[in-house]
Amino acid sequence: MPRKERSKIAVIATALALTATAACGGGEDTAGGKVVLTLGYYAEAGGPADATMRKLAAQFTRANPGIEVKIESADYDEFYKRLRTQLAGGKAPDVWLSDGVLVQEFAGRNSLRDLTKHAAGLNLADYHGIDLIKKGDPQGRLFAFPQGAQSTALFYNKALFAKAGVAPPTAEWTYDDLLAAARKLTQDTNGDGKPDVYGFRAYSPSFVESWWPMVKAFGGDVLADSGKIAIDGQGSRDALAWMNKAMYEDKAAPDPVTTEALGKSQILFPSGIVAMQFGIYARIQTAAQGKIDMGVAPLPKGPGGQRGELANINSWVINRASSDPEADAAWKWITFFAGEGPQKEWMSIGEAIPINKKVAQSPEFLTPSTPPTDRKPFVDALADADDLGLNPVWSEYTAAITKQVTGALSKQIGIDEALRTAQADAQAAVDRFKPAG
Amino acid sequence: MTAISEVVKPPRPASRIRVEQLQAGLFASPYLAHLLLLTAWPFLALTYLSFTDYDTVSSPGWIGLDNYARLLRDEDFWNSLLNTGVFAVIYVPAQTVLALVLAVALNQRLRFMPLLRGAYFVPVVSSWVVIAYVADAVFNPRTGSANTVLGWFGLDPQTWLHSPALAVPTLALVAVWKGVGYMMVLFLAGLQSIPKELYEAAEMDGAGPVRRFRHITVPAVSGTTFLVLVLSTISVLQAFEQVYVMTGGGPNGASEVTALYMYRQGFEYFQMGYAAAIAWVLFGITLVLTLLQLRLQRKWVHYA
Repeated sequence: MPRKERSKIAVIATALALTATAACGGGEDTAGGKVVLTLGYYAEAGGPADATMRKLAAQFTRANPGIEVKIESADYDEFYKRLRTQLAGGKAPDVWLSDGVLVQEFAGRNSLRDLTKHAAGLNLADYHGIDLIKKGDPQGRLFAFPQGAQSTALFYNKALFAKAGVAPPTAEWTYDDLLAAARKLTQDTNGDGKPDVYGFRAYSPSFVESWWPMVKAFGGDVLADSGKIAIDGQGSRDALAWMNKAMYEDKAAPDPVTTEALGKSQILFPSGIVAMQFGIYARIQTAAQGKIDMGVAPLPKGPGGQRGELANINSWVINRASSDPEADAAWKWITFFAGEGPQKEWMSIGEAIPINKKVAQSPEFLTPSTPPTDRKPFVDALADADDLGLNPVWSEYTAAITKQVTGALSKQIGIDEALRTAQADAQAAVDRFKPAG
Repeated sequence: MTAISEVVKPPRPASRIRVEQLQAGLFASPYLAHLLLLTAWPFLALTYLSFTDYDTVSSPGWIGLDNYARLLRDEDFWNSLLNTGVFAVIYVPAQTVLALVLAVALNQRLRFMPLLRGAYFVPVVSSWVVIAYVADAVFNPRTGSANTVLGWFGLDPQTWLHSPALAVPTLALVAVWKGVGYMMVLFLAGLQSIPKELYEAAEMDGAGPVRRFRHITVPAVSGTTFLVLVLSTISVLQAFEQVYVMTGGGPNGASEVTALYMYRQGFEYFQMGYAAAIAWVLFGITLVLTLLQLRLQRKWVHYA
């Protein structure tokens, strides 16, 4: 082979080899002697949550000059879509913000570090949500640390209550009281035979604000402490029957099709189409955008006196694949975020109940100047709340139940049949799961 | 002898052949790399994964035919196939007929024709997010124009994408609107290759516009019609983005098509092995339908 040809081939081969090496190369965990911490979270780009998180990351970097923070953020759906692919490829962030209900999905697949030892140096009683996180793991390990909490309360529109001459809800309200008030609040203002204002939003695809707390308030459960599905019970039947009565007999709440057709379930309260809704703390933001003068009250009591309170603890988790220096840096970030200063910053955007109890008990949080001016019902609910039936197949088993329950609430199938099928399908999803390792 | 010696070339040296072979290999290497890394390897990996329990994080565990056996019992999977079938039954014929009609109507030398053809092509190059916003302006149950039109005829308003019965037909109509421009261009190309003499001769024989369309246009573009049918069938079996953006498979699974169901299993429920089995079944259905169309085309497609 002529020398010139050989040289050309050698150059091309070298270029190809270099390209392949670059493509297969792994990430670095240090830069200029600093530990590079990859921080992942979901937030609307450029929105208040994103801006506050970046501001806090900058404060953290200033306080920890040996750590460089690399941010990976996206909106909720995109973030998790990307995260699942990153986990498969071994490229997930070192620390990421996990929706509380997904922690066990990651932990059950061996993707998370057990933080129990890290947390031993903290007084865990100072933070909300620790017990609910531990409850998700069969061995009571701490695979996540709280970032912000969500509990459910009864939101009501003060102007619509005043207009209908209905007294605001109290902590003593039962489901009968709720329905009676909803009937009075339901109005057909233009006389076309269809309500323009409904008393209550009973159905929502966001089941933590719909059928789940009702099932618990009526004495039922979704996932028993034994880990078995428990939806097919009398409490569930009574709760769904109450909802169908409110929607189809009393017509005091829009049915599922009408709820979606009126502009999606989360639009109804902020636009004044419903006078009451069950809502998590974060719904204050959307209701405030609709300039609703709102109040919040505890969830009504079921026949046995239970309120069925639920909480979701959104949490920081640490990637099991991260190196020890990265994991240590990640833990520093977590404890920094749980501190009073950062928790107050996070509280100011109104997205979550602070997990730092001192901040959550402060007047700035409990009695702010913007509605609702009394936020104690959220903190009280958090203290009494159960978790959302956490396990490694949470998305799948809750989807199986939701499909059947929605069918029953849409009157496509009977309540008994829906609950029987939901029980079987959800239990099958639970049984299919085999723990990693 | 002189002529023969000019034709017969002297043999090339072996080293020269080796260099040429090496050069040919290098020139083909991008394509070969693409074929091996992005087609053959994923194809083999998908086949293997479909026989495993793979959660995307732990190593895949061999479970034989369990995923395929589960598919047979999975009502949600069959429901997704049914939804895909209903989508196809509405979408494929509607798009094919409408594209042909539009192509015939626009196959004229008038002043504003290029503008009109462009207008019909705009949805083709628009993203599904944009299309979803436009579709909401039409099918929104409270503010959409579709219910206004129904009102003109004294019909009750509908909930369209929020109705379990109407969600898939509404999605199919929107898909036709988005895709018809592309198929129309294919038909336009086919129409412009039909000799004008055929129409002139038929006209002299007394054939009217309908008979000319039926006996000249339709047979002459039958090859294009076949192509449009195959492309439309494949695209409907792959329908994902539109459903994901417009209904998310709702209401309550009423518009969950197979590609979306597969995505959910793989990327939301960490069941990549099961998703791989669904992908294989979807591939099998696509292959069978395409082969069926290929076999049937012998009876009705006329090639010049």
